[in-house]
Amino acid sequence: MNMALEEEILCFLQQPDEEKFETIALRLFEHQKSRNPAFARYCEFLGQSELIDSWKKIPAVPQQAFKYSELRSFPASKTAAEFHTSGTTRQGFGRHFMGSLHLYQAAVQKGWDYFNLPRYPLILLMQDPEKAEFSSLSRMGGILCNYRRDCFYVNREGGVEADRLRTFLWNRTDPVTLFGPALAFLNLLQEISDLPLPPGSILMETGGFKGIDREISKEDLYARLSRCFSIGVDFIWNEYGMTELSSQFYSRGLGGPHFGPPWLRFLIIDPKTNREASPAEVGLLRIFDLANLWSVLAVQTEDLAVAQGDGFLLLGRDPAAVPRGCSRSIDELIQRGTSIKREKQGIGLGLNASVESR
Amino acid sequence: MHLLNRVEAVACAAREFPWLGDLTPSSIQRWIALELGTLLDANTPQTYGEHHCSARALSPILHVVSGNTPHAGIQSLTRGILVGGKNRVKLPRQGLPEFDHFVRLLPAELQPETSNSLHAAWIEEAEALVVFGSDETVEFFAKHVSPRQRLLAYGHKVSLGLVMGSFDANVIEGAVRDVLVFDQLGCLSPQLFYVAGDSAEFAKGLAERFNELFLSDSAVAEWTSEIAGSLRSCREEWKFRAATEPGIQVWESPESLDWLVIHDPNPSLISNPLYRTIFVKPVPADLLSVLTPIRRQISTIGVHPVNSNAVELAIQLGAQRVCPIGRMQKPAVTWHHDGAPTLANLVRFVDIEGLA
Repeated sequence: MNMALEEEILCFLQQPDEEKFETIALRLFEHQKSRNPAFARYCEFLGQSELIDSWKKIPAVPQQAFKYSELRSFPASKTAAEFHTSGTTRQGFGRHFMGSLHLYQAAVQKGWDYFNLPRYPLILLMQDPEKAEFSSLSRMGGILCNYRRDCFYVNREGGVEADRLRTFLWNRTDPVTLFGPALAFLNLLQEISDLPLPPGSILMETGGFKGIDREISKEDLYARLSRCFSIGVDFIWNEYGMTELSSQFYSRGLGGPHFGPPWLRFLIIDPKTNREASPAEVGLLRIFDLANLWSVLAVQTEDLAVAQGDGFLLLGRDPAAVPRGCSRSIDELIQRGTSIKREKQGIGLGLNASVESR
Repeated sequence: MHLLNRVEAVACAAREFPWLGDLTPSSIQRWIALELGTLLDANTPQTYGEHHCSARALSPILHVVSGNTPHAGIQSLTRGILVGGKNRVKLPRQGLPEFDHFVRLLPAELQPETSNSLHAAWIEEAEALVVFGSDETVEFFAKHVSPRQRLLAYGHKVSLGLVMGSFDANVIEGAVRDVLVFDQLGCLSPQLFYVAGDSAEFAKGLAERFNELFLSDSAVAEWTSEIAGSLRSCREEWKFRAATEPGIQVWESPESLDWLVIHDPNPSLISNPLYRTIFVKPVPADLLSVLTPIRRQISTIGVHPVNSNAVELAIQLGAQRVCPIGRMQKPAVTWHHDGAPTLANLVRFVDIEGLA
């Protein structure tokens, strides 16, 4: 196992030292290349003759690779946890294996604290990790609420427990944190239109806005949330995370950039050249997460973003933004067939099936 | 305007658009004759069995043109003009310069009314609606059209190639040309080729030909960030798979997103971002069941060689058009678009009895 390296990264999470990032990242890269056969083959395939002497040069594994390979940097027999992507698009779902949850837990907690996010009582619009063993979001919620089952407000069938939420908030004066995927908030808004949160409360939403069955812009969602919960838009946060990572980025309000904690860095990649984009140029987001000890530390996402200061403005991905003429995408056709079949069977899109990454 | 004059006018305008295909006066007349005989001659009803018959245009005809493949819009307008209807065209918001140019080449009395927005009155007044677009667009019109109006819907399609015998450089060249036209965005553009022989060799051949073509073409495609992002993501995903899965091979344009060829030994259907991205797969024993999910959306299957076995297989797979590889983008003017006649569907047949 990777005890020494795990300990070193844990120390970094406790007391971040920017100057050590590169050293740890390069050691982590060598460690993963030597223990992760799929990653080693990929590095060999890329055939980079250039010396990897900077964290920026570490080969990033495409996010989709988690669907095709077991990207483990440790023996399979030592698996302590396994998270799955929702698999709502393309073929199958991705899997992220972990040899222990120490780093994941520390990354979630320290990341939350790094942004001074309040430790108010949590209302989690997600399933209890016992009901959703493979959901990284549920695990994150569990870590943040110390696994208190009564914090979770999504039942086994994927429905939001709106009545229980009303009861919890009835006459409450202390602030709370309401946290869940955008789709869960949309479902909640269908059931309630007016549920003021105590003053000082915050909302934390995660997940995409485009490509889900119910199209809605981020602006529209925030306006509706603001009205329903009597909360300013500046008190609504977005968590940008994914199953393939162990750490999270956060942004506040509308139009603001996302920032990560010191153990999480990013590059904007020019899709035309596959090299770092010029400043202010839109490109693909590549993420380097030191807490991803058990798989690969560099993940190439399919999300578009533009650098802004120390953060990035997330543009996301919208398959509909790619003009296709009259040629139909094969996977669209298959998905459409599946969704029609599901509609006919009366199966709704439950909250255990959110956006691509979660 | 008399039919012969309309034919002349269309043929004259089409001269500047060779990609519209063979639209000469004689080919157009042959097309009309095949679909309607002489019934379109307005002055003299023709003997039809034991009675007479005349074909009159449904009019006005509303053409709803979407996407960025102008040939579909021009073809549709051409059909409307030939049958003698009054034509109205809803163009995509971003416009279609080639369409506008074609219209300017027509005599004023044949020029359609055009608009970038959809007028409710146009829908209501139309005797026929020709709709190009996504399933969602087609569904929208299906809901808004009365049973007394004729709706001709051309939804999005998938086309593919089938190489059932030995291939040479000409077949490779034809396959590459089929992919290149309209940047692979047409409904006749192949998204993948199934190859019965050495599928990896076929893929390699495609890649070598793409490379030669683009080496001599210095123009760099200016894709939007969304398109470039989807193309880059596809490349990196398949490069990872090539590194970790046996049999997968990837060839890509160096330092650009110009083209991508992927050989995948798994015959199952996969996502394709298009823009000159082509998959090559071996022909599986159960090709029929592999293609079942898209059977109703298959447009053209390009085959090599063209023989009765390959044609019959393509028909069983759901093809509405079967042609040699290399001619996928060049349907005959007389083709049945999406399996139906193109002129005969834009007229009403008037049967006249008792005429001496």
